[in-house]
Amino acid sequence: MAKEIGADRLGDFYKEGSKVRTRREWRGVADTLYDYSRWLRIMMTLGKFVVKPRNVKAMFRYRWMANYLAVPMMVDRHTQGLRGEYLRICHEEQDLIIDDVAKLLDSLFRGDRRIGNDKKFSDKVVLVDENEMTAVMMGFPTLKALSRETPSTYVSVLLNQYAACHYIDVAQEFGLAGDVCPMPEAEAGVSIDDDAPIIGACAIQCNTTCDGSLLGNGVISQRLQHEDGIPVFQLAAPLRHREDDVQEYAAQEIRNAIAFIEKHTGEKWDWKAYFECAKRVNYATKCRMEWLEMNRTPYPQVFGSNLALYTETNYMAICGRVAAFEKADRKISKLAQQAYAKKKMAAKEYRHRAIVWGVQSHYYMDFLVWLLNCWGIVPLTDMLSMVSTKMLATEDTPENREQAIYDMAWLTENMIMRNRTHGGYKVLLDELWEFVEEFNADMVILWEHMSCKALDGMHGLFEERAREKGIPLVWVSHDLFDPRIISRQGVRDQINSFMRTVMQEEPLDPSLEILPDDKSW
Amino acid sequence: MKDLKHLIYFENLLLEANNELVQKAQAEGKVCVAYTCENTPEPLLNLEGCFSARLRAPRTGSLDISTYYMTSFLCEYSRALLERAIEGGYNFADCVITPDGCSMMNRCIENMELLKTMGKDKEKFFFQYMEVPMKADDNGLNLYVLQCKNHILNPLHETFGIDISDAAIRKAVAEFNETCELIRAIGDFRKEDNPRITGYEFNVITLATYVAPKYLLIDKLKETLEELKTREPDEKSRFRARVLVAGSEVDDTDFVKLIEDAGAYVCADRFCYGSLPGRDPIILNDEEDALTQICRIYMNKGECPRFMNTDKMDHRRVYVDQLAKEYKADGIIYQQMKFCDPWAYEKMMGTTILRNKYGYPVLAVDRPYSIGTSGQMVTRVQAFVESIEIKKIHNKGVANG
Amino acid sequence: MGIFLKILKIIVIVSVVFFGVTFTVYFFNLDMKLTAAIEPWLLKQYDKVDRDQHL
Repeated sequence: MAKEIGADRLGDFYKEGSKVRTRREWRGVADTLYDYSRWLRIMMTLGKFVVKPRNVKAMFRYRWMANYLAVPMMVDRHTQGLRGEYLRICHEEQDLIIDDVAKLLDSLFRGDRRIGNDKKFSDKVVLVDENEMTAVMMGFPTLKALSRETPSTYVSVLLNQYAACHYIDVAQEFGLAGDVCPMPEAEAGVSIDDDAPIIGACAIQCNTTCDGSLLGNGVISQRLQHEDGIPVFQLAAPLRHREDDVQEYAAQEIRNAIAFIEKHTGEKWDWKAYFECAKRVNYATKCRMEWLEMNRTPYPQVFGSNLALYTETNYMAICGRVAAFEKADRKISKLAQQAYAKKKMAAKEYRHRAIVWGVQSHYYMDFLVWLLNCWGIVPLTDMLSMVSTKMLATEDTPENREQAIYDMAWLTENMIMRNRTHGGYKVLLDELWEFVEEFNADMVILWEHMSCKALDGMHGLFEERAREKGIPLVWVSHDLFDPRIISRQGVRDQINSFMRTVMQEEPLDPSLEILPDDKSW
Repeated sequence: MKDLKHLIYFENLLLEANNELVQKAQAEGKVCVAYTCENTPEPLLNLEGCFSARLRAPRTGSLDISTYYMTSFLCEYSRALLERAIEGGYNFADCVITPDGCSMMNRCIENMELLKTMGKDKEKFFFQYMEVPMKADDNGLNLYVLQCKNHILNPLHETFGIDISDAAIRKAVAEFNETCELIRAIGDFRKEDNPRITGYEFNVITLATYVAPKYLLIDKLKETLEELKTREPDEKSRFRARVLVAGSEVDDTDFVKLIEDAGAYVCADRFCYGSLPGRDPIILNDEEDALTQICRIYMNKGECPRFMNTDKMDHRRVYVDQLAKEYKADGIIYQQMKFCDPWAYEKMMGTTILRNKYGYPVLAVDRPYSIGTSGQMVTRVQAFVESIEIKKIHNKGVANG
Repeated sequence: MGIFLKILKIIVIVSVVFFGVTFTVYFFNLDMKLTAAIEPWLLKQYDKVDRDQHL
């Protein structure tokens, strides 16, 4: 039990065959008490959630709800080994996300025809995809944009590595090929398994990340539109999003989506609300840019999953619509600047500065913390965090109202992941090496999400460029939502063997090299 | 049946991407526009002075190098094309025009470009990437028209001096329609109870129209149609069932041959590179410009699963049902090239809906790019044919009380 | 004054007990150990739910 960073053998907390770890870390009096207080807060959030009978009813109805038993452990996984400001930044983010997801679940069950069946409430709900910018909802303050896929699959897999397996199997039982991306596959599986809440006045789907995602939506809309009677608008964001000659199309899609929502909910677009949200989006962008700027120095502060998971949530799902995230942005920036001024480090030694590229393994989101603790590799930034930095128009003028449509279109086109996996090789291949230089990185960790065709299709050229630049590149293969294909240890082994054989290094914390977390949540 | 006079000629055209007619057209000074996706409006690639060649990789062998560049998780079609490009098999092309139809094809072409596999000694060579709509609506149409102008017509005009006027486009459509009408007329013989053309023969002829300059094929197509008018089918058909083949890209005639050798007559071809709806004539009016009309027709007839609006999705299954009725199919084979994401989903949806809602016997298979004589596939088709026969016997029994 | 001290004493005792119990749960990860034990039972419940499984 140690106060100092890196003094604990973090691998000793794991127990063979167990879902959970043996105990929580002792981080010194102040940090342990802080962590404890945040744990209490999470317990209160969960407590508030379960006192409502409808939520208990939902707990027994939806299989994916069982994963929410593991909420505190998800936080523990991401705070492993962290102290001081890093621990506080992580809690600021994680606790806010938990709060947000709890509200999302509560709202879903309130309007769900099977559970709360609050029709009046449901009529003010617009369903959105999990992988979709919610920019078109920025001007509808009286409507609720709810995603069913976020809690049923996306968050579930963060909580429990095996969460999606049941739904993947269901989809495959119905004849879906096993080689498609398991994320839309699981989302389709939830729909097929009749395990999605039935709610909403209408739904906005998007051709978000990939072909699989687009087609998976087709499975979901089949049931939504033809059986549940919930009209669906498919928002088609252009794939070649950097080209000028697609922007008018993208803007018109936004106009059409807004008109669709107005038609089916009876609500009117509110420009005041939109520009308020736009200000918050800009503030989030400004903060993210500051964090990234710090990460270019020898003392990075907001990085790894602290950066990745928060950006995914704040940039895409929140999109300026929730004021609490602005407050969190401010706090995180303050903590980061504080630590930066003191030249603080999150691990006892920084050996490598890495850019993490590609699509991370969702069932092992805390891998970035592991990289740091086990090998001293600092994940400076990741592909999913390198999103739009464009500032939106925020003043309500006639010109800006027109500009706002293009801003929303731009955001939608530049949703996380798709802004890199689509739009030509420049955004995926060329810009990686630009970031390597900008961040002064000496290593590239390249996730190879094996069923992500857009990434796999650049495999050889990534390697060739790495050779040309003389930058060590390590492939880390995984199957996004399915640890049965490549386990967490399988993921770690790829780094372990690279670090030992190619880099000829020994780990900072050898107890983390092999972990018995195969059965773990 | 007596062999078709020009069948071997058509077959030979399929043996090489750079086939005899491609060479002949280029020798005449025409520009060869290579393309890969059915969402590229073909008549626009066949304006006066240029012709289209849809890329294939016949007689594909090892995919080692393309697998290195794109991993084994991409579909074999995209890998086979890249492999052939790396081997220098597409050096004849004067330009490549491709939409981001699917991620895999996009990456395939990007690899071709980055690896500088094409355009050697061709100063004017270019790659053009298009954005094509994913929904059939007015906004999609505007996009389609603009993209065709920016990525097909203007580059062809500016680089090769091709006439891209409305009159030139209308002329290209007329020529395109001539081919389509011939293919349609030949294909209509498949509706007969004892057809005078096999699915394989028809597949070979149709495929030739995608990979060779159409204007050089017209005579042979006309002769073939005339020949078919008097061709006598075998007295007793060797086929035990009629099937419609739907699904992803098929440019391998062995696949259709394999199905027919297993006893199922391929009466309709609703797949990418097939004739339905790929060889539907384009009917233009005089009121609106030709380009807009072509784009609208392509957008509305497109059966590619990348179209994501509900009406289009539903129509994909309605269309298969219509064709199955029109061509009197006893069953449907939904095929999908392994690792094809769009068709992986569409195959599942189509199979389930056609079976449960429309009541067809449906076989769902995935396959490699080159099927050869796959024993597994033969067994599956044979079993499917038997199941159709059993169903027929059962239905007859029910009908007889 | 006596009542005030008494209340204060109760508050202190309750707080100490609350802290003692919750900190023990927190530190030894007892919350997660409990929910890990509940999960298999919950999963069996889901298998009993009537659902209309189809595309």
